[in-house]
Amino acid sequence: MNPEGHAAGTAVPPLIEVEGLTKHFPVRGGVLRRKVGVVHAVDDISLAVHEGETLGLVGESGCGKSTTARLVLRLLPASSGSIRYWGRDLIQVSHGELNALRKEMQIIFQDPYASLNPRMTVGNIIREALIIHRIGTREEQDERVKELLRIVGLNPEHVDRYPHEFSGGQRQRIGIARALASRPRFVVCDEPISALDVSIQAQVVNLLRELQREFNLTYLFIAHDLAVVRHISDRVAVMYLGTIVEEADVDRIYDAPFHPYTQSLLSAVPIPDPKKQRARQRIVLQGDVPSPIDPPSGCRFHTRCPIAQFPLCASERPLLREVEPGHRAACHFARAYPVTDDRAPGADSVGA
Amino acid sequence: MTDDGRSPVLRVSGLKTHFYTDEGVVKAVDGVSFDLAPGEVLGIVGESGSGKTVCSLSVLGLIPASGKVVDGAIEFAGRDLRALSDREMQKVRGNEIAMIFQDPLTALNPVFTIGDQIAEAVQLHQGADYRSAMELAVELLDRVGIPEAESRAEEYPHQLSGGMRQRAMIAMALSCRPRVLIADEPTTALDVTIQAQILTLMNDLRRDLGTSIIIITHDLGVVAEMADTVMVMYGGRAVEYGSVDSVFERPRHPYTWGLLRSLPRLDERAETLPSIPGVPPSLIFLPEGCHFAPRCGFRREICMSDYPELRSIDDGHLSACHFAEVFAEPKEEVSA
Repeated sequence: MNPEGHAAGTAVPPLIEVEGLTKHFPVRGGVLRRKVGVVHAVDDISLAVHEGETLGLVGESGCGKSTTARLVLRLLPASSGSIRYWGRDLIQVSHGELNALRKEMQIIFQDPYASLNPRMTVGNIIREALIIHRIGTREEQDERVKELLRIVGLNPEHVDRYPHEFSGGQRQRIGIARALASRPRFVVCDEPISALDVSIQAQVVNLLRELQREFNLTYLFIAHDLAVVRHISDRVAVMYLGTIVEEADVDRIYDAPFHPYTQSLLSAVPIPDPKKQRARQRIVLQGDVPSPIDPPSGCRFHTRCPIAQFPLCASERPLLREVEPGHRAACHFARAYPVTDDRAPGADSVGA
Repeated sequence: MTDDGRSPVLRVSGLKTHFYTDEGVVKAVDGVSFDLAPGEVLGIVGESGSGKTVCSLSVLGLIPASGKVVDGAIEFAGRDLRALSDREMQKVRGNEIAMIFQDPLTALNPVFTIGDQIAEAVQLHQGADYRSAMELAVELLDRVGIPEAESRAEEYPHQLSGGMRQRAMIAMALSCRPRVLIADEPTTALDVTIQAQILTLMNDLRRDLGTSIIIITHDLGVVAEMADTVMVMYGGRAVEYGSVDSVFERPRHPYTWGLLRSLPRLDERAETLPSIPGVPPSLIFLPEGCHFAPRCGFRREICMSDYPELRSIDDGHLSACHFAEVFAEPKEEVSA
């Protein structure tokens, strides 16, 4: 939880360590379904998640954040790179070993309507995880299911009800109970609250934080809602077109971002405070996110970047480098411009 | 509710829209009133099922067959829209009151080009010939910031990105220079950097054309940025209404107050979010008394039996809470 703690205790390896992770999806076309191109969904990313902390992964749709989550859990095979869980490479381990490790790694999905089988009772949905991992006798499972319902704030007497009898927020609690059934250490939360009503979101966010404290969970928290990510994360990584462009402690990312993409992303979010919002300067980015099939050369952000310098930014891909201790950014000009600086060309201009 | 003497372009009073289902009568909108002044931006905020969308569909006469506007008056520029025939209403829709939706892909016709669809609207409402309608369409696409408007006009909706489609929708909505633009969650399906583009565009248009805008959203940040006035809806009724500054700074209804406190903030970090317990009510089985009472930390006996009418608390700030004056700086919350 404490970022300074990690720096001091460098002897402790991260729980999850990803290096050079890459995923290319083939694009097929024509009668013979020949490969005509490649979607660079995730392109050479590296990140580490320490035990008990929450790493927030943010970015706009199509930036590769959900693909990254699925790669890390090996729900998708990676094209290249390594994923270490407690030092063991998940890409190399045998099938049997992987299944055993799956007990410790779980996922909470975005859509609490689509991710629960409508024909199964809530009790059986949660029990399924226990059956698959051969945990406990039938009676023990019964007890555990009820305990889990209590833990996530649902009435244990409702174990025989079906998902449609629950509200969206309650269904998300069922999804959380299922994820916790096998006592995982690492949980991927893939947009866990974006399908919920505003007044329900805070309830679920609070629950996730309580559970983290109680069971010492490690979260990879994926969301496009930057305010929620600030609230729940210890560290944040920002993705753009399949690459990580910036990564740092949560307060550094939000208070002093280096990458122009992070800066414009943050400036784009309206704050629910009319006076503050009117006083803010906004960097409106030009155009849309380019296609990951044929990503821009050099820095992938150069086509929309308000401070791009040519030819450098279009020809050379900036490495994710440590700009300040614990603060990495992939920009040739990181530090050159503060947020919404007047000098930055294009600041506060109307998008094309 | 306009206090500066300008006569409102749209006045809705006592609007009730009910739906008839097998399970019972859904009181989607149950007595809502608001005024919209020329050039004003009204934000209607609420969660799913609060009635915010049905409100705007009622204004446009677009309620599906299972529902009906059962009471109230909708006055637009001095005319009673409820008294108009379907044909007359069709002239108002699109021409004088235009609407943009959350998902432009379902609102646009997939088999016609963008240019054709805008030109069609222009021809229909303004009686222009095809060529001049098409010229205007290209001009509008350019106006809403679509690059290479001339060639883009010949593309089909699926060839455009989400942000571009929403721009095309706005171009179409503006084609007849409507006096009122209703935008129902216009940026919810868009990424935040694209949302910023669209909000900037809408602000420019309002400034340049003086269009009144009703923006319907669940996002309090969008309201804070766009709106002059805000109406908060809960369980089919307006629970709070006032200038955006006064509602956000000093909410006079426990629901608004609780909602604002429960939001995680981009500009500051809190340890825990003070969340509102419970879930929004079913519109079929609305609680007796105040609809929010079962979730409210300040409720008293009267809240469970009497629905509090929307009343003026201070200068143009209205609240439907029995304790609007006293709850705001609470000493202690009543245990639920």
